[in-house]
Amino acid sequence: MRLDRTDPLAALLLRSPIGALVDWAARVRASVQRKLLVAFLLITLLFIGMAAFSLLTMRGMTRQSELLDRAHQRLEWSQQIHHSLAMQMHLTAMALLVRDEAAIGSILRENNRFNEALARLEEAVEQPERAVIQKVRAGQEEAMAVVADIANLVRDSKIEAATRVHSTREDPLYRSIDALVSQMVQQEDARMVRLRDGMRAARERSLVVLGGFAAIAVLLALAAGFVISWMLIRPLSAAHGLLNELSSGRFGGSVKVPNNDELGELAVQLSATSRELARLDAEQRRAAQELAALNAKLQQTSVAKSEFLANMSHELRTPLNAILGFTEMLTDGLYGAVPGDFREPLADIQTNGRHLLRLINDVLDLSKIEAGRMELSLGEYSAEEVVNTVRASLRSLAEEKALEFRVELDAGLPEIMLGDAKRITQCLLNLAGNALKFTKRGRVTIRAERQGDFVHYSVADTGIGIPPEQLEAVFTEFRQLDATITREFGGTGLGLSITKKFVEMHGGRIWVESRLSEGSTFHFTIPLKSEMASTV
Amino acid sequence: MSDKTILYVEDNEFNRKIVRQLLAQTRYRLREAPDGESGVRAAQEELPDLILMDVQLPKMSGLDATRQLRADPRTARVPIIIVTSYALSGDEQKARDAGATAYIAKPYSPRDLLSKIREIVPEA
Repeated sequence: MRLDRTDPLAALLLRSPIGALVDWAARVRASVQRKLLVAFLLITLLFIGMAAFSLLTMRGMTRQSELLDRAHQRLEWSQQIHHSLAMQMHLTAMALLVRDEAAIGSILRENNRFNEALARLEEAVEQPERAVIQKVRAGQEEAMAVVADIANLVRDSKIEAATRVHSTREDPLYRSIDALVSQMVQQEDARMVRLRDGMRAARERSLVVLGGFAAIAVLLALAAGFVISWMLIRPLSAAHGLLNELSSGRFGGSVKVPNNDELGELAVQLSATSRELARLDAEQRRAAQELAALNAKLQQTSVAKSEFLANMSHELRTPLNAILGFTEMLTDGLYGAVPGDFREPLADIQTNGRHLLRLINDVLDLSKIEAGRMELSLGEYSAEEVVNTVRASLRSLAEEKALEFRVELDAGLPEIMLGDAKRITQCLLNLAGNALKFTKRGRVTIRAERQGDFVHYSVADTGIGIPPEQLEAVFTEFRQLDATITREFGGTGLGLSITKKFVEMHGGRIWVESRLSEGSTFHFTIPLKSEMASTV
Repeated sequence: MSDKTILYVEDNEFNRKIVRQLLAQTRYRLREAPDGESGVRAAQEELPDLILMDVQLPKMSGLDATRQLRADPRTARVPIIIVTSYALSGDEQKARDAGATAYIAKPYSPRDLLSKIREIVPEA
């Protein structure tokens, strides 16, 4: 079930009085656990009640069926009595007719059967019926006395006298007994019919009551289930809605639920969270706006600074051209022979002039990069050419310092690659120049090898090394390890930073490994086929 | 055979002076122009054997001046060395696109400049 969808039936029910019940259940000040417990207990009690009622009904029915059994028995006995009486009357007539002792014996047997059934019936019936039975018994005893008289007369062969006794005394007696017994049979029959009808009515009544009870129990259980589940679902659904708003970035909304339980507390907390988020968001937006404004201002300043630096370095270069040019012409003896004492200061002017030129060039490069105006001029080139150019430019410096200067080229490198050869050369020249600068003895090795879709250049030296804590900073502008190094080894402090930027513009990576007083290895990679990276 | 004429278009007096003093030692004859427009005019008035053209010039840039000279049939074939103030990537390409014969970055070594000139226009 999805929390953000309510099926139409539930929606309809929620608008009915049952909805008010849901509200009421939510407002009850109790924990969810207790509410659930009460609801389940209620449902359980309903079903226990129903079971008990069914048991009671079943017991009543059993008792009635026992009563019916007994009534049936009584009817049977009364019918037996009726039958025995008829047999006696018939046998008496037969004794008179056949004048036989055996018929008399049969009358006695039938009399015993009659008495036995009468005794059973008497035991089963209540007082009013018992009076009738006693009347029957009295009549029967009298009849038996008359039968004895008739038997004596028959034995003495006084048949006529016996017939007279039979017709004057016994027959009326039997008739009156028969009337009583018939009445008894009718009564028992009527009683049984009554009982059966009563039982049928009771059964129908209890079926209706039981069915009603079951229907009400099921309805109540359904209602309890509905109330309890919607008491839980409504706050959850409201919380879900708010969370949806929050997750889509709309803060500040709140949930209002009637619940006075954990879910109510949750809603309150959720609303508070939402308000706090809204506050933070507003704060954040304000801060971001301020920051953006500040950033724009800074960017303007930065562009202005870069432009200023670019113009400045151009303006600086023009007089520098004159200084270097005149010095060179002086040194070359264009103005006549140079006195011996002048040679050294002239060389110093030239060295410092060139250093100043390098500085100006680096500053211009950097300011162009930072102003986003540096573009690579991509073309076909070969790593061998790059490495050889670097070796050729630095060979004399290596020889001067008596350092071993090695170049190792991977045979697997493609002959033609795509990149800005001039900038890649500048990068390698910077690194190899630094390596020679910071190495007093030992060797400097330049390597170029293929590494997947990249050329991996590295420059290893046996120089002074870099302390671990400064490894990160070496690629930052104007960071030489300390001022003494700048004095001792020279350099602008911009070379590594520019190198890093050119490498990254190519889409490559630069890093350094170093051990203090053992040496450093600078690595950088350039894609075999570089594309212009948009910004650095 | 008369001496070779070199036209130097450059606004900075000191830079002109360097070339003037550099060429004073040789048999090259130097003519000077302080801006792009007068440079083009001077080349059209009297065809030089070689033009040294600065890029950042008043009135007309060295690149524009070169293009104009290349468009003029009289001056289309004169060798032009473009002197730029800084060897930025793409600068050389721009110079070649404009029609330059060669390209030299400033600050240049007078010695290198002279050998470049000699390479293109032998002294005698």
